[in-house]
Amino acid sequence: MNDGPLIVQSDKTILLEVDHELATEARHAIAPFAELERAPEHMHSYRLTPLGLWNARAAGLDAEKVLDTLLKYSRFPVPHSLLIDVEETMSRYGRLRLEKDPQHGLVMRTDDYPVLEEVIRAKKIQPLLGPRIDGETIVVHSSQRGQLKQLLLKIGWPAEDLAGYVDGTPHLIALNENGWKLRPYQQLATENFWAGGSGVVVLPCGAGKTLVGAAAMATSSTTTLILVTNTVAARQWKDELLKRTSLTEDEIGEYSGAVKEVRPVTIATYQVLTTKRGGLYPHLELVDGHDWGLIIYDEVHLLPAPIFRMTADLQARRRLGLTATLVREDGREGEVFSLIGPKRYDAPWKDIEAQGYIAPADCVEVRIDLPRDERVAYAMAEDADKYRLCATSESKTLIVEQLVARHQGEQLLVIGQYIDQLDEIGERLHAPVIKGDTSVKERQKLFDAFRAGDVNTLVVSKVANFSIDLPEASVAIQVSGSFGSRQEEAQRLGRLLRPKKDGRAARFYSLVARDTLDQDFAAKRQRFLAEQGYAYRIMDAKDVGAA
Amino acid sequence: MSLIRALSKELEARSDDSLRALFAARPDLMSPAVPDFSALAARASARVSVQRALERLNRPQMQVLETLHLCTNTDTEHSASAAGVRKLIAGSTVAALERILASLQELALVHRAEPPHGTAVSGHRQRYYLPVGSLKDVVGIYPAGLGRSYTELVRLQPAFAQRAVQLVAELRRSGVSIQNATTPMEAALALQHWTSSPEALGEALAGAPERTTALLAKFRNWAMGAVPQAQRKASVSNQGADVGPVDWLLARGLLVPLDAAHVELPHSVGLSLRGGAIINDFSLSPPVPELGSTTAALRRNAALGAIAETLRLVGDLLHAVREQPLATLRSGGVGVREMKRLAETLRIDQHRAGLLLEVSALAGLLRLDVDSSSWVQPPQLEWLALPRQEQWLWMVNAWLASERVPSLVGQPANGPGGVPAAHRALAGNTVNALSAEAQRPDAPLVRKRILEILEELTQEAAAADGTAPVLDAAAVLQRAEWTQPRMARRFSSLIRGVLAEAELLGLIGSGALSQLGSAIAEDNPDEALGILGEHLPAALNHVLLQADLTAVAPGYLAPKLAEKLLVMADAEGHGPATIYRFSPNSVRRALDAGHDASSLLEFLREHSATAVPQPLEYLVEDTASRHGRLRVGMAASFIQSDDEATVLELAAESKAVGLGLARIAPTVLISTAPPRETAQVLRGLGLSPSVDQAEPGVVRLRRTNHVPGSARPVYTAPRTAPAEDDVAAQLAVLRNRRAEASGNHAGPVAGSGEAATQLGLETLQRAIRLKQRVSMNVVDSQGNSCLETVVPLSVNGGRVRVFDPAKETERVLSIHRIIDIEAAEELRQ
Repeated sequence: MNDGPLIVQSDKTILLEVDHELATEARHAIAPFAELERAPEHMHSYRLTPLGLWNARAAGLDAEKVLDTLLKYSRFPVPHSLLIDVEETMSRYGRLRLEKDPQHGLVMRTDDYPVLEEVIRAKKIQPLLGPRIDGETIVVHSSQRGQLKQLLLKIGWPAEDLAGYVDGTPHLIALNENGWKLRPYQQLATENFWAGGSGVVVLPCGAGKTLVGAAAMATSSTTTLILVTNTVAARQWKDELLKRTSLTEDEIGEYSGAVKEVRPVTIATYQVLTTKRGGLYPHLELVDGHDWGLIIYDEVHLLPAPIFRMTADLQARRRLGLTATLVREDGREGEVFSLIGPKRYDAPWKDIEAQGYIAPADCVEVRIDLPRDERVAYAMAEDADKYRLCATSESKTLIVEQLVARHQGEQLLVIGQYIDQLDEIGERLHAPVIKGDTSVKERQKLFDAFRAGDVNTLVVSKVANFSIDLPEASVAIQVSGSFGSRQEEAQRLGRLLRPKKDGRAARFYSLVARDTLDQDFAAKRQRFLAEQGYAYRIMDAKDVGAA
Repeated sequence: MSLIRALSKELEARSDDSLRALFAARPDLMSPAVPDFSALAARASARVSVQRALERLNRPQMQVLETLHLCTNTDTEHSASAAGVRKLIAGSTVAALERILASLQELALVHRAEPPHGTAVSGHRQRYYLPVGSLKDVVGIYPAGLGRSYTELVRLQPAFAQRAVQLVAELRRSGVSIQNATTPMEAALALQHWTSSPEALGEALAGAPERTTALLAKFRNWAMGAVPQAQRKASVSNQGADVGPVDWLLARGLLVPLDAAHVELPHSVGLSLRGGAIINDFSLSPPVPELGSTTAALRRNAALGAIAETLRLVGDLLHAVREQPLATLRSGGVGVREMKRLAETLRIDQHRAGLLLEVSALAGLLRLDVDSSSWVQPPQLEWLALPRQEQWLWMVNAWLASERVPSLVGQPANGPGGVPAAHRALAGNTVNALSAEAQRPDAPLVRKRILEILEELTQEAAAADGTAPVLDAAAVLQRAEWTQPRMARRFSSLIRGVLAEAELLGLIGSGALSQLGSAIAEDNPDEALGILGEHLPAALNHVLLQADLTAVAPGYLAPKLAEKLLVMADAEGHGPATIYRFSPNSVRRALDAGHDASSLLEFLREHSATAVPQPLEYLVEDTASRHGRLRVGMAASFIQSDDEATVLELAAESKAVGLGLARIAPTVLISTAPPRETAQVLRGLGLSPSVDQAEPGVVRLRRTNHVPGSARPVYTAPRTAPAEDDVAAQLAVLRNRRAEASGNHAGPVAGSGEAATQLGLETLQRAIRLKQRVSMNVVDSQGNSCLETVVPLSVNGGRVRVFDPAKETERVLSIHRIIDIEAAEELRQ
């Protein structure tokens, strides 16, 4: 028996014992083909999926290597059926190939005649194909490249895409590495991405995803389109690019609701692209009409459905997706992978934390007993109002005050879902409130003041969930959230993870009303972070005042 | 001279070693012991015994025996020598045939005989042989797969006889050089003559429609075949594209219709197709299958993985059965619904669940409780406490010895392909788990043989270091067909199943015989235990507690610890490691079972390799502190709580309407539902009621029937050879009797016991074949005996039909009433 760190389960999960001396080695060995699923403190769990195995094939790993790795590091015998399954799954990849034919343009080829016959009979695939050239070759409409690949993936015959990428218009971009250096994992992520062609890089909030984007742009040195979630994020990208690269103000354009500039590097918001007028997307031309060499999707987990469809047409361009939390409550993670590309880099949050690149965080769930009258009101309420009632309990406001008093002098965020509640808290704390109807200019001003330390406490709604860079924020108090959204919770914690100047740990409080829906949703929301190894301490409200 | 008497003499003259070898090869000859050599000879010639002996012959032996049977005649004592047989077996040598004939003689299946009349003097130096008389009945009507001759077919098939003359005439008209015939017998002889020449037949077949060769190939191993409308009208004059191969062959008499659906390829046609030899695929060495290969590492991984998985699943299965016994159907066996439930609990497919259930039951881990007709686990099952390697050996031993065939579960009840598709829905039955249909008395023997063949093939393949040959059902079957052609059919239905079962038990890994399997095949279980003991790690006594409220057991957990963890957490995952997830519900369950927070935490601290994480501690304490906040009572079934809000909340709860709740005081609700049900609903709402002594006075009677415990199975390989002591005793009896007999100067006691019956039957059957008269001493119902001279016609089911020439009538006599029988005339043909 060998004494490896892995335990391979017959349900296709792999457990990795973190404290084992070979753990790091084994993690690197299985990372190319297994998806990290959970990363609690002692046993990380990975899952083998067809998608993961095919991505491994695409990256040049064959079944034999996968089996070798499993057998080498496994502590117990590996279920034989799983080995066979891995082999069979991986052998399906590449039976179909997408190639450039000098005469016919994009074609699908195979050496396995029956597979082609099976595939072209699939109802959804038929319309994407052109005339058949010979038994083994069929023309593919080049605009359907993405969709075809996605559908082939769905029916289990993933195509190997050998048709390559368009070069895009060259535009020199260089990194401006004075006084800072690309961190090793950023370097690795960029290299992995570039070697793979297209794909998604998953890094925790605050770990410097923007820099991975910048490095990719420098490697590409072509005109680049960057898609981001909102205007504030667009400005942050611009600032960061100006600071870190050779790009100048004139070379970077903003394409948003307010400004419509197209420059060699253009930063557009998802929202403007998906604006629909008279049944048309007037701004989609931005994407199609220019010869971009690289497209970067920031917060790719938020990619709206129309962009999904549109992305299907962009298969000939290099695509980089960036995200911290690749979980979608609509379960479309798979589509992100199949349209943008496979996961090229993923690191458990705790690993990056251990390397000191993000601040350690202490998560605390504060359980609050509702006062009697509120409980009665909650008990009698309609189902639709129940969550709102318990999430906005007045006793929460009280606890917020206590917590703020406790963390006097620290940069503190109060985050919530319900505007009334936030307004009330803002009033009690004498703190500014940023919400949906706050103008971009006002937001920018408040964020700047917060960064500068002029304002210590900000009360924010979900507009601050993503992409807002507040390096010195070290305490966040979450009073309510959008139901059970896992990624919202993670993103909110993410606001605190920039390393602090004095190396302080971040503190994340989540206020939860006991015995109510609030508690159920909280448990759901915490799942992603729990899987990443963040353990919530649980505290009773009465202990907050005492401590 | 009677063949039995001749055999008796021959046996008597043998050395003790030769007799020992005979008893070893045909143990039924001395079970029960025989008193003397004539009885031994009689038994050796008996049909049943010959049949058993034939089952042990390998293919060349069988081929030689069948050929000898075809070229000799036991009635006329027309014998054959090795040289004679050689002409009929392509590719054989006299030396090889001599050896095989000698081995058959050792087995008392053939014996030495006089050369046939008219043999040249030079031929007298050769050894001549005759098969035992009953061989004819045992090999059946198609020895060596060849059909009957035209003359016999004409005699037995009136329809063909009627057509034969016309058929010959038609053939002549179409230009075939065949003798003219006026009677059916002449026609038969003409056809026989025509088809006996491979060249003439080849010439005729040259004009046959395409696919005829392919069709004839189907008759290569067996002379009879099924065709639709076998008695169709076919004529040589029919020409054209619509004449199929069957029509063509029927028209020329190359196939003879037997009935509406079957045809036969006559002897001479079959022989010519084989190029004039009876056997044309003679080979002294078994065919060597082409085997794939796998690595030794993969093989070991697969075998050990399978063992760990099987033991884990059997453990889970027993747990599930303890929770809820498996009900049986009235018709026997466990029904589909129960199987589905079991499969879901174990998270495996039904087929596998069926296999595991059968294996557990045959190992005695489950017992049928007759009173409740359900399968339960016997109390104090020793198996549960054994180390894993011994658990494994227990199961393997039980499997080897069992007459159950687990893999038959889920198969069609009438055997695969036994029922035509259209009727299958009607018959609709598949074999249920633990039902009587999955019983096969010869399973232990077949299993042993398969393991032996696997071992044999593995040895022969002599795979390079680090690799192992992959053995599949086809290779095993091919070998079985060579070593025991008469047994092969019994193998073919079980072989796949046995291989699957062996894989489940780790005897086969990655398609190759594992080291364990090889040790078991060599009947060396201690070696297997040793190997397994080295590779199966000992049970763990700790888990890893994590802040996400899980406990991970990184390997096989001691059963007692696992059992306790299951009370307070829910098991997840499927594989060597188990993940236990704690939730308010699971902790509540532990509290309900009488634990308290401190004992739970104490238990966790004791068995955790790491500190108990704060969230888990909080969960246990929080759940415990609120456990029992609500109290449910019996009187009218009440809910009482000091917490008015809770009561109010509950009263307004729409999901509790079914309880008919009414608030009788600020802190008390009553319910119309029984307390358990009420509590159930409250728990469903996320509340944590404690149930007061729910049904005072009502004691739920749990039957404490005595279910017998299970003893550890001991496997002894199925007997294939008799014990040495028995052989010695038998030999002593035989030799002593001879000594006595020689002392008394008397010949062997011919008229006594077994030998007499067998001799009488031999006389009778010979008389039937030769249409001779016999004189019989018959006892009538009054006990008077009288001597009769009759012509016997047939023997069947203990009765003999005779023709009485004196009265010119037919009669039926019971054989047991015949006390003596003698051929009335010594006719020689």
